[in-house]
Amino acid sequence: MQSVTLPASLDEAVAALGAMPAAVPVAGGTDLMAAVNQGLLRPAGLVGLSRISELRGWHYQDGHALLGAGLTHARMGRPDFAALIPALAASARAAGPPQIRNAGTLGGNIATAAPTGDSLPVLAALEAELVIAGPDGSRREIPVSHLLAGRDMLEPAELIGFVRVPLLHAPQVFLKATGRTGPGRATASVAIVLDPARRGVRCAVGAIAPMPLRPLEAERWIASLIDWDGERGLAPDALAAFGEYVAAACIPDQAPDDGGEAPPLPPAVLHLRRTVAALARRALGRALS
Amino acid sequence: MTNDAATATSTTRTTPLPEGTGPGPDQELPLLGLGASLPPADARAKTEGTYPYAADLWAEGLLWAAMLRSPHPHARILSIDTSAAVAMPGVRAVVTHEDIPGDGAYGRSVVDRPVFASDLVRHHGEAIAAVAADHPDTARLAAAAIAVEYEVLEPVTDPEKAFAAEPLHPDGNLIRHIPLRFGDPDTVGEVIVEGLYRIGRQDPAPIGAEAGLAVPRPDGGVELYTASTDPHTDRDLAAACFGLDTDRVKVVVTGVPGATGDREDPGFQIPLGLLALRTGCPVKLAATREESFLGHAHRHPTLLRYRHHADAEGRLVKVEAQILLDAGAYADSSSESLAAAVAFACGPYVVPHAFIEGWAVRTNNPPSGHVRGEGAMQVCAAYEGQMDKLAAKLGIDPAEIRLRNALSTGDILPTSQTVTCPAPVAELLREVRDYPLPTLPKDAPEDDWLLPGGPEGAGEPGAVRRGVGYALGMVHMLGAEGTDEVSTATVRVHNGVATVICAAVETGQGFTTLARQIVQETLGIEEVHVASVDTDQPPAGPATHGRHTWVSGGAVERAAKMVRTQLLQPLAHQFGMSTELLQIADGKITSYDGVLSTTVMEAMDGKELWATAQCRPHPTEPLDESGQGDAFVGLAFCAVRAVVDVDIELGSIRVVEMAVAQDVGRVLNPSQLATRIEAGVTQGIGAALTENLRTARGLIRHPDLTGYALPTSLDAPDIRIVKLIEERDVVAPFGAKPASAVPVVTSPAAVAAAVRAATGRPVNRLPIRPQAAVAAPKS
Repeated sequence: MQSVTLPASLDEAVAALGAMPAAVPVAGGTDLMAAVNQGLLRPAGLVGLSRISELRGWHYQDGHALLGAGLTHARMGRPDFAALIPALAASARAAGPPQIRNAGTLGGNIATAAPTGDSLPVLAALEAELVIAGPDGSRREIPVSHLLAGRDMLEPAELIGFVRVPLLHAPQVFLKATGRTGPGRATASVAIVLDPARRGVRCAVGAIAPMPLRPLEAERWIASLIDWDGERGLAPDALAAFGEYVAAACIPDQAPDDGGEAPPLPPAVLHLRRTVAALARRALGRALS
Repeated sequence: MTNDAATATSTTRTTPLPEGTGPGPDQELPLLGLGASLPPADARAKTEGTYPYAADLWAEGLLWAAMLRSPHPHARILSIDTSAAVAMPGVRAVVTHEDIPGDGAYGRSVVDRPVFASDLVRHHGEAIAAVAADHPDTARLAAAAIAVEYEVLEPVTDPEKAFAAEPLHPDGNLIRHIPLRFGDPDTVGEVIVEGLYRIGRQDPAPIGAEAGLAVPRPDGGVELYTASTDPHTDRDLAAACFGLDTDRVKVVVTGVPGATGDREDPGFQIPLGLLALRTGCPVKLAATREESFLGHAHRHPTLLRYRHHADAEGRLVKVEAQILLDAGAYADSSSESLAAAVAFACGPYVVPHAFIEGWAVRTNNPPSGHVRGEGAMQVCAAYEGQMDKLAAKLGIDPAEIRLRNALSTGDILPTSQTVTCPAPVAELLREVRDYPLPTLPKDAPEDDWLLPGGPEGAGEPGAVRRGVGYALGMVHMLGAEGTDEVSTATVRVHNGVATVICAAVETGQGFTTLARQIVQETLGIEEVHVASVDTDQPPAGPATHGRHTWVSGGAVERAAKMVRTQLLQPLAHQFGMSTELLQIADGKITSYDGVLSTTVMEAMDGKELWATAQCRPHPTEPLDESGQGDAFVGLAFCAVRAVVDVDIELGSIRVVEMAVAQDVGRVLNPSQLATRIEAGVTQGIGAALTENLRTARGLIRHPDLTGYALPTSLDAPDIRIVKLIEERDVVAPFGAKPASAVPVVTSPAAVAAAVRAATGRPVNRLPIRPQAAVAAPKS
């Protein structure tokens, strides 16, 4: 390791990265240091982001919350944050053991972009925008889904500064299935966000593909069934149909070989589809209850 | 109390330990000696992190070692070019198979494993070369710079195909075959149930990864500082590879950071020693977690086919089974594991006719070896699955059908060995069956429910089904089939302080605490120290199969009794009475009539007393060509009732409670015993639900603790030690039975039975995959 820089502001951090293009930014280090310890990564220098206080809180802007990329999972899991963005808080509480949640950050979760990153389906469902800081104080905004899908990449000497999330004042649910009772990586996760102002239901499925998946048709269909001005409840059959719809959209049948019947999915994939269906059904049911 | 051990061997006493937390309310437990909950002497240092493990050792001018391991499960080595590594600045030595002065291969029972692969690699992670350099990163980079040209070969990864495959080793692919035949093969039961069971690859996953320090000696020998669990065998194997006499190689045992299997096997120690001998410098190796997973032995993945015959009342008539152990590339302890699997294939049940075929075969999968409860654990999951099937077919309660067949003292095992030790199997099962079931959480606030999937999980009360399952398990204690079991211990007393010297390794099983208690009990001396272990001491055998509680504990007791006699003889002579009439307690010596009273210090009169003694249990015999013989010294039994909650849509499982009743002979240290049982149950839950070191075509897929999920505190259930049956085993010192392994053996089968009860699914594979625990909701 040649150098470690600890800038005090976002622009200083961007400048430090510009001055040393081979350096790697590090926030909580929960993914980065694991790669270093495994010998997979040998950074020439580190730019530590932990002292940038402007990134460790949030503020409000035009009905949105502007979340600092340095917010830790532990901070996001607290009740005051949960009152603002309940699904993001739930995903933060589910993101690993306390040691990881104390160190790991929102920006790090996005930058690592692991398929199992718990905040990612929530950000996708919220249609969050990233505020990217560049050289000389420049700022640009890109949808989180563009970064996760690789449509828009971070340029050299750019950092994720903030995450702009709408404040929807409506129920949100994040559910994840894991292999054990203790903290574990998601085998599948579902985020459901209600947007009463736009009469929309937004859903994203995580951990089953390289990036969160949005079943847009299923969202539109179920939103049309909800009585937005009344009870908002749905019959169990409708919830179940929504679950099946989401699961089939995210884990489609294999294309038939020659116009015949679709070949059956392998048992493990079939189980994953059932899991997604159950999670989506339960999540929507809880959001509407 | 002093003579308790000698006189009370035939008494039966049962002590309930409610909730496993300690003594019953109306009992007063001693603070010292046998029966006391004496804490380990090093507990504070270990808790505070000041206890030195091998990874903490340092020596002036030490070099760091790194290993090059095979990335392929099966390949021919065409060439090894170390020149790039040798040329790197800071690299002091590179060793391959060409640099071994002595034997090129080693092995605990069969010498079949090369120190470094020369022409063939037979498993992913097999060692090919080792490097010593002045910095750990340099060593790692140099190891990576060694150019090995491979011709990749098709790996044999299906043990069923190993029989017909080209030999993977000059010794052939069949390591051992036991065709056990007991009774009449033509007998047929009124009811027959069949099952196919698969058990995954559990890793011992020690909390501290392998580490060691080798220090060259001026006489051309070498000292190995490592957490060996079998130091004398390791020394002999290492010396043979170094081409040195055994007196020039010394293994010094450092603190053991967790061992449920063999630790720091010679595969780690020999390269380390070679590098120290080659460079003349101390060399240290600290394995990464990945290397630890690749390098050490795992539990045998096992395939089992069973056919149980019973009469209409559910009494077993005949058991037929085929058991196939995947040994990986090398034999290691597979022969012993197979013997246990075959001998206990029917479990602690009376079976008049048994026909069990067992095989251990070579494959290119990761190596298998000793992990506690080996062999017995795999068959327990299968025979208990069969008992559940029989119960379902006959409409008999699962606990009842087990009671009808339960083994007891005097019954005969399918190996024709008569069970002479206490075998309170039916009583154990009744205890767990009759223990009150945990309440459903329906009256508690919903936020407090811990549902399958965890506190932030997706569990939904409406989809959760509760299941209750039973399992009975058994293990053998000490080495089997004619192994010479012997341990030697020395007790020294000086200035009112006793020291125990014995080469029994403290692996966490509690031997050092037990040794202190034995000396306290026999000599009435409070302050007892246990010396650290090295191979200059006489051998005590490997720290497995409860050996040290029994054999080394027995040796310590004999040595302490000899010191007692030395101490009391002059006094007894002076007063004209036998030493048996004198008592030692709290540092005072008193005669039976109270006439004589003196202190130990006075009686010692500045003398130093030493005594050395051996303990050698009665011999066993190998199983013959039809699997018959008195192969085991002792047996221990356990009954477990598992209560699980299953989310039947997601297939997620939470073990709510494990109720354990165990046959322990005698409780020597209540809190230590409870800890061992809780640890064993938790390891068993890991094997039942999450622990499986997965491979794809012979390659280990996730050699880390994220991919290999150990139980966390949230996964561990309430463990209720419902009953410890203290029926003393007359042949064991103190009448005590070792207690760590049998809960590991029994718990996975109990969890599987409970999931079966909750879901109605067959559950024939461990660990239980979520898709196997999904069920249609009952309308």
